[in-house]
Amino acid sequence: MSTVSTRAPARADRPAQSRPPAKRRRPRRREQQWPAYVFLTPWMLGAAVLTLVPMAVSLYLSFTDYNLFDPPQWVGLRNYQEMLTEDPRFWRSVGTTLLYVVVAVPLKLLLALGAAMLLKNLGRGRAFYRSAFYAPSLLGASMTIALVWRALFNDGGSVVDILGSVGIDTGGWVGNPDLAIYVIVLLTVWQFGAPMVIFLAGLQQISPELYEAAALDGAGRWRQFVSVTVPMLSPVVFFNLVLEMIQSFQVFTPAFAVSGGEGGPADSTMFYTLYLYERGFTASHMGYAAAMAWLLLIAIGIITLILFRTSRSWVFYADEEGR
Amino acid sequence: MPEPRSGRRRPLSRRAVLAAAAVGLSTALTASLSACSSSGDVSSGGVTLTFSWWGNDDRAARTRKAVELFEKEHPGVEVRTSNADFGSYMQKLATQAAGGGIPDVAQLDYRQISQYAGGGTLLPLGDSVENGTIRTSEMDEEFVRTGTFEGKQYALPMGRGITGYAYDSTVYQKAGIPTPQPGWTWEEWAQANRRIAALGLKSPDGRDMVGANDNGVNEDIFEDWLRSRGGKLYKSQTELGFTEDDLTEFWTFCDKLREEGVVAEAKDTSQASTTELSPMGRGLAAADFTWDAPFPGYPALLGDQVHFAPVPTADGRQGAYFKPSMLLGVGSNSEHPEEAAELVDFLLNDERAGDILGFTRSTPPNRTIAARVAKTLEGAEKEIYEYAQKMESYGLDAPPPAPPRGDVAIQTAFKRAYHRVMYELTSPREAAREFIDEAERELRS
Repeated sequence: MSTVSTRAPARADRPAQSRPPAKRRRPRRREQQWPAYVFLTPWMLGAAVLTLVPMAVSLYLSFTDYNLFDPPQWVGLRNYQEMLTEDPRFWRSVGTTLLYVVVAVPLKLLLALGAAMLLKNLGRGRAFYRSAFYAPSLLGASMTIALVWRALFNDGGSVVDILGSVGIDTGGWVGNPDLAIYVIVLLTVWQFGAPMVIFLAGLQQISPELYEAAALDGAGRWRQFVSVTVPMLSPVVFFNLVLEMIQSFQVFTPAFAVSGGEGGPADSTMFYTLYLYERGFTASHMGYAAAMAWLLLIAIGIITLILFRTSRSWVFYADEEGR
Repeated sequence: MPEPRSGRRRPLSRRAVLAAAAVGLSTALTASLSACSSSGDVSSGGVTLTFSWWGNDDRAARTRKAVELFEKEHPGVEVRTSNADFGSYMQKLATQAAGGGIPDVAQLDYRQISQYAGGGTLLPLGDSVENGTIRTSEMDEEFVRTGTFEGKQYALPMGRGITGYAYDSTVYQKAGIPTPQPGWTWEEWAQANRRIAALGLKSPDGRDMVGANDNGVNEDIFEDWLRSRGGKLYKSQTELGFTEDDLTEFWTFCDKLREEGVVAEAKDTSQASTTELSPMGRGLAAADFTWDAPFPGYPALLGDQVHFAPVPTADGRQGAYFKPSMLLGVGSNSEHPEEAAELVDFLLNDERAGDILGFTRSTPPNRTIAARVAKTLEGAEKEIYEYAQKMESYGLDAPPPAPPRGDVAIQTAFKRAYHRVMYELTSPREAAREFIDEAERELRS
């Protein structure tokens, strides 16, 4: 404990001493950076001790067999190999997570965009509705809401009863492996407020002159949407897409709460993160869990990279026009 | 915050900055150093012990009371207690063990013994038992052995539990089923379920009431089933004691009954996390396999017609056994192993402590205390005590040694594998194969 905290400040201080001489023309500035680093020290200490060190340890653990009791044993790539070749539940959890991401993210973004379009032209009640739609994003991450959600979609829950009374007899969703995942999808989609606010800001950035010009050229509403709104909004769409995608891959709390921590029924809500948690904290395979975490990080990194690559062909930045 | 105009102000002197940094750092250091030392601190002249357990508020209140009595009798010894619910307790203890220090005295689950003893987290208690600091004369020898690992005593059982069968005697009478006896068979049980389903009693949500819950998810009941046929769950710390055929047979038996519609449906079984949510608790089934400690919850919920019966057998040989519902161990890094052992003995063998603790950890392993406390019991608690007596005289096989390290993971895997059978995602044989693969991987690592 104490060794970590004595060493860390030395590391954090280093950048201050070995500043490159680039700013030599203003020597007084250099003098004044001292206090800045001193005041940054707590943050840098925190980043080092609470983020960088654990990440390094986690990377090391991912190459070990560690059950919390015996010292970690180096096993090289065995965790990764076991995961990819011997563990059917690992692949099922990958499949479940992908299904969730592919369904939940587009739905949520569409709903957010739709709501933003409606709110954009709303006069008086806008502030009210904006807050009302945003509220679920604040509430939704809580355990309580997830439990309420579970009750709504369970046998005898309101949603199931209402669907039943209009002739759609689904039975309880929570106990049905084909439907349980959609309880969580709907919970996520319901929290469309955050991307909605960003869309709304994006929509307000679009110059009204563009719409006027389009209208003069005889473009109808739909045409305006496709030819003006969508391209002008594409950077915001892209931003929301990346953000939501990354978040969705890491979904944990709702799945944990809705399935009572078990990812059930029959592993149908056993998301990657839930399986990771189970491997680490129930089964005490910390090495395996660490390896899963790193694989997830790498996978999210690759998918984000692909999104960035493809974005060149569909994201339109207004300031690129002249190039 | 407004940005300071740099030109106007005198820059802070280097000395001032260094001084501030030094102060900041040294406080951080002292904080971390003192955090390290606080675990081993000794109150003025005396001894401080730490003691932790999991359980509900009733257990916590009673345990604290017993601990206060211990402190009164041992001047100079202070006991710091802490408790939590089972899940978070398990995680906290595991983290403490990894960090190099569980409390001086800790309540342990049967499944933790191998892991903690093997990892060097627990102090061997053999000496304390031999020199009489921890008395075991009033306990069953085989039962005390449940706290051993590789031949050494690492923990002592604190409560004795046994599997059983909560059933609605009114429904059983209506269906003309005789009261289940310790020797009743799985075939008789299956017939009983068919008869109950044939009665066509309506459950609160309008479905027909079935015989029992689907016990295919329950590894404890599978163990009883295996033992009743002379098998066991684990051959050793690294090997399973049953084959793919055994498990396939068990799961096929359960699967068929469910398909017949005489035990609970998949969606109801998968949500049975508590007594209230179990098929029996929801009025969907007439019976439920359960442990003795939670049994009183059933009559409390459903009425006094609910009674406790033995788990069925293959042909009269009972597979159920007395299992330590929890044990007490001493941390290997304890600075006061003597006093810790005294506290263990006090909680297990002191009559007054026994009176205070009652049946809050199910039947106390100390016979005299159990008999003494039993006199004060009534209703469902009395019934489980009498049930245990009855089973003891019927004759049970010795309990197996503490399960291997991977057992926690294996038990959840068991449930999950059967879920896939239950929802018809796979066949009993395939599920058995996949489960055994997983279990063997778990035991290897």
